[in-house]
Amino acid sequence: MESKKMCLGLFTGSVDKLTAAGIIISGAAALDMKVDIYVLLQGARAFRKDIGDDAGQLQMAENPALKAEFMESLKSLKVKTWVEFFREAKEITDLKIHICGLAGKIWGAEKLDDFIDLADDICGIGAYLSSAEEADVNLFI
Amino acid sequence: MTAEELLGLKASKIVDARGTACPGPLLEAKKAIGTIMPGEIMEVLSADEGTKVDIPKWCTKQGHEYLGTLEESGYYRIFLKKS
Repeated sequence: MESKKMCLGLFTGSVDKLTAAGIIISGAAALDMKVDIYVLLQGARAFRKDIGDDAGQLQMAENPALKAEFMESLKSLKVKTWVEFFREAKEITDLKIHICGLAGKIWGAEKLDDFIDLADDICGIGAYLSSAEEADVNLFI
Repeated sequence: MTAEELLGLKASKIVDARGTACPGPLLEAKKAIGTIMPGEIMEVLSADEGTKVDIPKWCTKQGHEYLGTLEESGYYRIFLKKS
């Protein structure tokens, strides 16, 4: 059985949406889906090596006033951090993380080495669209 | 399967995912299924309400046979047979 493909455009750099993305790709991994993630604009900032899981440097996409409650609940429910979700999903399935080159430059990160070790390559919009065209599931977060 | 039949099953593998929230139990099941042989039975323990919907759906997609769920106090025992 050929595996289904998921293509995720990850624009967000917010901790709540990144957590949601992490949970969704975990589900995809459990189903052996092949996942391609294209990290765009704000997302590229969150993927910077010096940011990643440092939630203090990340905002909330929705209702910023609830950030403390959100982070506290994740902790007490033993929910993984967004980076841990991405790491685990990558261990389970064929999951590639592509960083948009322009987005990286906007946040002063030009080389692959400037991003957390989960990033596979730096790419352009053409790669995203050709992956999106082939995917069975397309998401934009 | 009836509750009685489920109670009589002998699982080759018991995955205790009661300490984790969604998607923890599903991922634990996914990892553990690789450690048993086709035809063997796996039991997943989860305190997460969503898991009792997730695992049957996951079984359908992956071709495993979902056998049923027993509700205990505060958690579920979910049984499946590896294809």
